[in-house]
Amino acid sequence: MTDALAPFVEATVRTATPLAFAALGELVAERSGVINIGLEGTIIAGAFGGLVVAGTAGAGLGFVGAVAAGMLVAAIFAFFVVTLKADHIITGTAISMLGVGSTGTLYRLYYGTTGAALETPTLAPFPIPILHSIPWIGGAFFAQPPVMYLLYVIVPCLAWCMTRTSVGLALRAVGERPEAARAAGISPARVRWVALLFCGAMGGLSGGTLVLAQVGTFNEGISAGRGFIAIAIVVLGRWSAVGVTGAALLFGAASALQYLAQAMGWGIPYQFALALPYVLTLAALAGAGKRSAAPASLGVRG
Amino acid sequence: MLINAVVLLGTACGGANGGAKDVKPVSTGSAIKVALLTPGPITDQSWNGGAYTGLLRIKDSLGASVSHIQTKTPAEFEENFRQYGAQGYTIVIGHGFEFQDAAKRVGPEFPKTVYITTGGNSVGPNIAALSFAFEEPSYLAGMVAAAVSKTGTVGCIGGTELPPVKSSFAAFAAGALAVNPKIKVVTAFIGNWDDASAGKEQALAQIGRGADVIFQNADAAGLGVFQAAKEGKGVWVVGSNADQNNIAPAVTLGSVLIDVPHAFMVMAREVQGGKFQPRVVRLDTKSDVVRWVPNPATPNAIPAAMRARVDSVQRLMQSGVFVMPPAAAAATPSTGAAK
Repeated sequence: MTDALAPFVEATVRTATPLAFAALGELVAERSGVINIGLEGTIIAGAFGGLVVAGTAGAGLGFVGAVAAGMLVAAIFAFFVVTLKADHIITGTAISMLGVGSTGTLYRLYYGTTGAALETPTLAPFPIPILHSIPWIGGAFFAQPPVMYLLYVIVPCLAWCMTRTSVGLALRAVGERPEAARAAGISPARVRWVALLFCGAMGGLSGGTLVLAQVGTFNEGISAGRGFIAIAIVVLGRWSAVGVTGAALLFGAASALQYLAQAMGWGIPYQFALALPYVLTLAALAGAGKRSAAPASLGVRG
Repeated sequence: MLINAVVLLGTACGGANGGAKDVKPVSTGSAIKVALLTPGPITDQSWNGGAYTGLLRIKDSLGASVSHIQTKTPAEFEENFRQYGAQGYTIVIGHGFEFQDAAKRVGPEFPKTVYITTGGNSVGPNIAALSFAFEEPSYLAGMVAAAVSKTGTVGCIGGTELPPVKSSFAAFAAGALAVNPKIKVVTAFIGNWDDASAGKEQALAQIGRGADVIFQNADAAGLGVFQAAKEGKGVWVVGSNADQNNIAPAVTLGSVLIDVPHAFMVMAREVQGGKFQPRVVRLDTKSDVVRWVPNPATPNAIPAAMRARVDSVQRLMQSGVFVMPPAAAAATPSTGAAK
């Protein structure tokens, strides 16, 4: 069993990484009072943008393309939701469909029906000296593609920014009481635009990670519902950067356990194995207590 | 996941003459209209891609006007079957076991349209099913896998546990056991056919447990299995449905192929010639629709003795005298009359 531990932790971190990027983006959007159901569309746009740019400019610049594509989709969402004050849920659903549908169409236009194959350059793992040889967890946390290490910067920065700076205060004020924020001289629309663009960048990074650090190719529907899981992860993480990262790791661990359970041939019906991450997430949500930590104005139009 | 990416081809889909009175009889003997429904994207280089190639061959060879649509839910299957029936399509193909019920329900409403499903057994006056003997080449792949494996563990990774996938994996295991009675075969399912990242993780988990040959049947999600093998050391993949030997040539032993274009052409010719017969069409090694295709880029991966042994078993299949071991035969879907 011990020989399964290191691969299990590695699978946990790999599965959690794209989810954590997307969920941290969603966290900021929701803190500003906007629920971005369109996250799925942002992720797959990032995946496709990463593919296109990486094909000509390499994996590193591919991530720039991924972030740009994610921000583009998020900008469309922000224009409708913030500028035109449209309904968050309906707009978000449309954006998800737009993302999945348009990337599929563009993919066929660019690459034909044979697809891009597995020739997209990927980021190789970059082991951090000394740390990567820590038993059991070293490989998982310190021998990953460099994009994963961004989390080590983003999570503490975000946690600090949201709780200790005036920018974070403005963000939370807009999410709780936009009219009070306005009275204090803060423009809710501007804050939400910035929050949504950040969410788009993170969603793009999530999609870029899938293509450029994991699979090495794009396929239609590659986001496979991660945008929706990320939204649940924000709830599970109770709207804090550290909590969200922990929740992403929990979901990653449940997925990794599921992979392992099937590979060990324990004879569990595979449907049970596949349901495991979702059951665990639900159980964690139920056990997390009743007091809601959601921003007061979350999902409110205007 | 919420999407029907729709691709319409040819001029057939204007829908201006969609009324039932314009429907042509089945045996026109002239230009036909053929529609294809796939459960996944046609860029998967596998199950769906092969079907799309078949549709294009019908278009090119028979001068048919064709249309394709990607569908996901059973409600959409029926709706699209009806749409094409109402538009007077000569043949509507639902490519997958998933389309059985929709064909049975919608078929009687449009008697002048021939509904064909693949991988199942639905039959009616205007309904036929193509049943691929995918087990036969899967068995051969299992023999090869057992001979190539150094660890004594081989894996199967599928999208979801559809009956044709299940029976194919059972035959693969039987083939492997026939060569090495001590071999361990582990089977896993991804739960969908799109999540290539999950496909890769599932493969890495199997590799971590010692599997060094993986038979994948997960369409687009299976691309992740190839990627896992590319990054691993001494890990081989067996492709499925289409010829997947070019996806990752250095790590691919071969492909368990269904010549879907060939199967589609047989049926389209039959309908065009007015000779359509409702039945389950069993397409096997004998009819040269399914076959084991070794990867020409890795000729030395398979020991010569095993290549000869596989050839001799394949000849038995071609002459129709090969008998599947009971364990694998039990998992094979019935090809008898419609349920």
